[in-house]
Amino acid sequence: MKQPLEDQRTTVYKVDPEHPENRALPTLRTEEMMLNMGPQHPSTHGVLKVVLALEGERIVKATPVMGYLHRGVEKLAEDGTYHQFIPHTDRLDYICAMYNNFAYCRAVEKLVGITIPPRAEYLRTIVAEIQRIIGHQFWLGTQALDIGAMTVFFYTFRDREILLDFFDELCGARLTTSWYRIGGVERDFTPELIEKLRRFVDYFPPKIDEYVTFLETNRIWLSRTKGVAVISAEDAISFGLSGPTLRGSGVDYDLRKFEPYAAYGECDWSVPVGKNGDTYDRYWIRVEEMRQSLKMVKQLLEKLPDGPVMASVPSITLPPKDKVFNDLASMIQQFKLFSEGFKPPKGEIYCGTEAAKGELGFYIVSNGEGKPYRLKIRAPSFIHMGAFDYMAKGYMIADVVTIFGTYDIVMGECDR
Amino acid sequence: MALKPVTTPDAEAPSIELSIDGQPVQSKAGVSLYDVISQTGKIIPAMCYHYTFDPFGSCGMCLVMVEGKKAPVRSCTAKAEAGMVVRCEGDDLHAARKKAVEKHLTIHPLDCPVCDADGHCELQDMAFQHGVQNLVNAKPKGLPEDRRSLVLDINMNRCILCGECINICKDVQMVDALQFFKKEGTTHVVAKGDVGLYCEFDGDCLAVCPVGAITNKYSKYVYKPWQLKKTTSTCAYCADGCQIHLETSGRDVQRITSPLSWKNKWGDRAETAKGHGGLCVRGRFGFQYIDSKERLGMPLLRTDDGLVPKSWYETMEVVVERLSAIKAAHGPNAIAGLITARCTNEELYLFQKLMRAVIGTNQLDSSARYGHLNFTRAMQKAVGIGRMMNSYEDITKAKTLLLIGTDITETNPITSLRVKEAIRVYGAQVIVAHPTLTNIAKLASHPLPIAPAGEAAFIQALVKAVVEQDLVDEAAVGAAPEAFAALKHAVAGLSWDTVTNQVGASKEAILEAARMYAESPRAIILCGEGVVRRADGYTAVLNLVDLAWVTGKLNKPGCGINAIPEEVNEQGAVDMGVAPELLPGQSSYADEEARAKFARVWDVSLPDAQPATSANLMEILDRCRRGAIKALYVVGENPLATLPSGTRVKEALEKLDLLICQDPFLTETAQLAHVVLSASTFAEKNGTFTDLQGRVNRVREALDLFEEARPDWEIFVALGQALGARMDYDSPQAVQSEIMKLLPGYYNLGEPRPVQAHPESYLSQGYAQDVGARYALRGDTAPAGSFSLMLGQVLYHSGKLSTRASGLIKLYPNKGHLKMHPDDLARLQIGEHDAVRVTSGRGSVEMKAEADPDLAVGTCFFPEHFNQPPVKDLTECVTDPVTSVPSFKLTRVTIEKLKGTRA
Amino acid sequence: MSAGTQEKSLLRTVWDAFSFSEIRTAMRVVFRHMFVKPVTFEYPREKRTIPDAHRGALGLLRYDDGEERCVGCDLCEAACPSRCIKVVSAENPDRPLSRYATEFYIDITKCVFCGYCVEACPVNALAMTKMYEYSTADKRSLIFDKAKLYDVGEQHIEDAKRYLYAHNQEKNDADSRAYRYKFPHQVAALTPPQDPS
Repeated sequence: MKQPLEDQRTTVYKVDPEHPENRALPTLRTEEMMLNMGPQHPSTHGVLKVVLALEGERIVKATPVMGYLHRGVEKLAEDGTYHQFIPHTDRLDYICAMYNNFAYCRAVEKLVGITIPPRAEYLRTIVAEIQRIIGHQFWLGTQALDIGAMTVFFYTFRDREILLDFFDELCGARLTTSWYRIGGVERDFTPELIEKLRRFVDYFPPKIDEYVTFLETNRIWLSRTKGVAVISAEDAISFGLSGPTLRGSGVDYDLRKFEPYAAYGECDWSVPVGKNGDTYDRYWIRVEEMRQSLKMVKQLLEKLPDGPVMASVPSITLPPKDKVFNDLASMIQQFKLFSEGFKPPKGEIYCGTEAAKGELGFYIVSNGEGKPYRLKIRAPSFIHMGAFDYMAKGYMIADVVTIFGTYDIVMGECDR
Repeated sequence: MALKPVTTPDAEAPSIELSIDGQPVQSKAGVSLYDVISQTGKIIPAMCYHYTFDPFGSCGMCLVMVEGKKAPVRSCTAKAEAGMVVRCEGDDLHAARKKAVEKHLTIHPLDCPVCDADGHCELQDMAFQHGVQNLVNAKPKGLPEDRRSLVLDINMNRCILCGECINICKDVQMVDALQFFKKEGTTHVVAKGDVGLYCEFDGDCLAVCPVGAITNKYSKYVYKPWQLKKTTSTCAYCADGCQIHLETSGRDVQRITSPLSWKNKWGDRAETAKGHGGLCVRGRFGFQYIDSKERLGMPLLRTDDGLVPKSWYETMEVVVERLSAIKAAHGPNAIAGLITARCTNEELYLFQKLMRAVIGTNQLDSSARYGHLNFTRAMQKAVGIGRMMNSYEDITKAKTLLLIGTDITETNPITSLRVKEAIRVYGAQVIVAHPTLTNIAKLASHPLPIAPAGEAAFIQALVKAVVEQDLVDEAAVGAAPEAFAALKHAVAGLSWDTVTNQVGASKEAILEAARMYAESPRAIILCGEGVVRRADGYTAVLNLVDLAWVTGKLNKPGCGINAIPEEVNEQGAVDMGVAPELLPGQSSYADEEARAKFARVWDVSLPDAQPATSANLMEILDRCRRGAIKALYVVGENPLATLPSGTRVKEALEKLDLLICQDPFLTETAQLAHVVLSASTFAEKNGTFTDLQGRVNRVREALDLFEEARPDWEIFVALGQALGARMDYDSPQAVQSEIMKLLPGYYNLGEPRPVQAHPESYLSQGYAQDVGARYALRGDTAPAGSFSLMLGQVLYHSGKLSTRASGLIKLYPNKGHLKMHPDDLARLQIGEHDAVRVTSGRGSVEMKAEADPDLAVGTCFFPEHFNQPPVKDLTECVTDPVTSVPSFKLTRVTIEKLKGTRA
Repeated sequence: MSAGTQEKSLLRTVWDAFSFSEIRTAMRVVFRHMFVKPVTFEYPREKRTIPDAHRGALGLLRYDDGEERCVGCDLCEAACPSRCIKVVSAENPDRPLSRYATEFYIDITKCVFCGYCVEACPVNALAMTKMYEYSTADKRSLIFDKAKLYDVGEQHIEDAKRYLYAHNQEKNDADSRAYRYKFPHQVAALTPPQDPS
């Protein structure tokens, strides 16, 4: 029977004589409320919109609406040489540009089947781990900020600056690095840079403790992260989660350990794994990973081998610049590589790399031309958003912010 | 056994089997092993190979291992033998090929940044593919660049001496302008005689040069391949229908290329019979008019201050208002239209629809009136085919070619290549009947110099010779005995004395030509402007039909009669019915049924076919002069500059109330116009051209529109709609689909349509009555001491359009010199610097004279593209009694040396 | 290794709760930082030292004798991933047979500062500088033309050179002068073009 309009507006509490404890529940108005969160919400880390179906403060359904930052990066790849796509990868997960470069270069190298000189592998690993530290610092600062703990943000950003300056010195840019090259890296470490890194390795562990001091005893932090965004190991695997989001649920899966690429096999480190699958465990894993990364950087710096930083494969890798001026063969290579690019054999390849946010994969189809026929990016943020509805269901509206953050989501790679 | 492998595609050699990479392959014995391998789809690098000419074997890249041989062999110069076991891949071969590339690279300069071939360079590709590294002992040659030529720079530092340029010039073009030349210890490629290259400039050498040794001066250093947008279109100069690639950046055409390139080297040798994909000098180097500064960017409107640029809105308002006023005041027959055959088929169709269905007049004509209509109308009447009967392949594989009155290498260079290939590869006998010693005559087996204007007489003589020598085909004449009897009677009336006198050739030569033609199983007639652009062109073509008919060659495969149209879409203009006597699809306008069909589709009533409502070019000009026509719509035509002043065009145009010109340029006619509408060139619009073979070729938009200029079809649509008609075409495709409905099967993109001649009704109805009149020769003889002034086309130009292309003007500027035979010059004692006065009944002109030994004694030549000094005005314009084709390219003049002139 | 959360005694929990222990520990850290030199600085007055490798605005370079390095080979245009370079090249009218860029545009609004153009340049005519302060209210002024690019190169020549050294594009020694691109041939002293006939 249709209620008169006035009745609908008035909240009437009916008391069920059988179950008086249910008295507080509204019995008349059971309408769900739809709430658009984003795309301009500060905690949505860019331009994510979530359509929340709410029952009071509780989330009944959360539908992420993506694509506000879609730039057609995969299509852009089809219009340039393999080499030209590297700067575009910078803009995927712009927090961890180096890792995107790394993942892409690894995929292309696998496609053309070239091996990298050992020094380049070491440098790549060191820089990738520094980038992971930056990513986790950034996550920690912003996640705490989103939840309400503002102080940590300044501390993490202070230390992140040191590393960004390091990148600036290394490759000339702080965020859009483009330092990796197909077949190696653009530029070797200078002694000053190595010295700088050594100092950082000693400097940073107490700082991690500092961050932890702020958070680990803070009851607001604890209550807002513990037991929030819980997902079981089975579900996490079914949803295809990866990285700290997966390991928080107790799944010991890390590509760096399982398929040790680059120089990961050559240093001693361990994979931190959580138990409860909640945001707190993921926080703990990320903090722990920073420590592990430092450990790796320290070891790799000790063992850093000498040698070239760029493979020398004719017709694929760029010739050294000084030879271009004098040697016709190098000149021809330079011109062919920059104008037409190298031509990988026909075929397709998938190569996954453990980035700070999870498994970042590149799937490349080559038709034997100088440009990729198709390039697909398996972006962890995008895959993680698939589990968002499942993980947000039943939580309060204020937890949505935590749940976004728990994936370490970056819209650049999510929307691509 | 010959030293070189056999390359003739039809070689009659035993079939053999050999094994390539383990696969059994069938082949002919003695052909190049490289050809056999490339037929299997395998690509072996070879820098000196191209399928259009014989293997040369200089680059040393096409190495393969043949079982039983210790070292790799060059597959291009090796002959395929039965039971050969060949291996094309392997590390050893890769290394050997790499060595071969390195050999070329060690003497190559470090030139990539400035080289025009960079990015389109086979040497680069080879070095890159084979992973060449470290050329420590590189020693560039350090030679100066040969910049003596007007178009092509030859840089011997970059040359790899592959000989492709020399081979294509010699074998395909048969021009043979280049050669190897040893100078100071190094081999050079130079023009014959080590002078600045001045040749036909077809640019095939440029196209096949795998490195940057031959570069194009017109686009030197201005592009790299990655900057260019490539649009495939059809060349808009002559009717050969060459596919061109317009390579543009922004609104500039940087260069024009064609399918011929070192990149397309793996073709089937037999395929060259259909064309080798190259271009001529006009197509390749004559693109500058598209970007010309003289282009009209805005419509112009005549005010008191002369022609003033105005917006389209204002201009069209004036046009519509005045056209409507004239139509209302004087009726639709006060309006007439002329269009150039350089427009696309869609535009031609729209134009005739606009004139007939919207304005309601049948007073319209196209530039096909200048000659091609003579051919199509005669052929249509006699055999029911309104176009050329043969395809390129037929021409190439002909046994006998009869070229009458056509300087084919100049007017249609790419069609001439088919004739050249027929000579070179298939050993055809070629008879060239032309007053001058043309380039094709120099190559022909039977050059037959005839008197100026002797073409028509020559055809009559051939018919007479065939009939009298009893070379007739019994089956063909047996089918129409009455007609043959009439013909026999008609030719009997000709006396050999008159004939030989008129033809200017001996009886023996004529008889031999007739015998060769009649007895050949594949005999093709190609005629040109010497036949169709004459006042008796219509009957001359009918006489040609007689010749083919009595020798039984009308429906024989590989035989036929062909005329070569000059402008790109003359065939299309005829097919689209842009002539008062034709409807689209070449049906007669007088045919009530056909007219009713179009009237139904267009939903209008068409003007009837009365002489009062129909007018062709000459009649339109006449009516303008008489004041019957008040408004003339001229699209791309330029009658003022084309026709001699004797036709009083200027007077006719000045009498008009409204002269609308639609042209990309401000032509002489447009300068008189009341309104000038700025139109586009072919590079800025979509559409189709119909080439001489009847193939419909796509024209694609390569550039954005020039300023405010609009494509012609858009202007027609706008005008039609403003005049109140329903013309809602949004693109040329919409017009196309209408044409497709009306003329099913017209858009046969690609292959020429096969044709079937049907002379039966022609021979049975009225033939016997008319034939007598056709075999009558005028007995007039040239007055002593007079010269035949011939206006003709030169290779470097096509119509007036090419004179706007700076590249072609640079190659062939108007020097204003009259060409004469050296003997005549000597006889008249005319020196190098002396001026002459050329006098005809129309007046006289003073200019310099220069020697051209190819001309016959008693003739002189001036290029028709220029009218400075106004040589054209000396000529008399005669019109064909049937088709009204104006003929004005030949006249009698006297030449005298001017005293005391030393300019 | 796996996450561990240490269990606290009830008494400890209650004490922590009532004494706001998290605030105490946190404030301890904060107060310690009161005696540390701040890491921030006031930007327009103080500026960061920019490393040599920094990828800033692009400039075109000349050789030491003032001649333009760029030969207009357009390879930068091909290498650019954001398609922001446009080179128009032609033959140098003053020096026959040498190629040069008549026009050279870099659309800085589109540039992603990846440095590929520098890497591609076969004559090291391009270099990145430390220039980064060129914000403007007029977007059109951000399309750098040839004159502007040479101007940038001239003003930041030292930075540009250091950039090239840092990125191994050029060696910081006398050899670098040997890189100079020479046109390896000259015009033949041959007869002028034949007259067309």
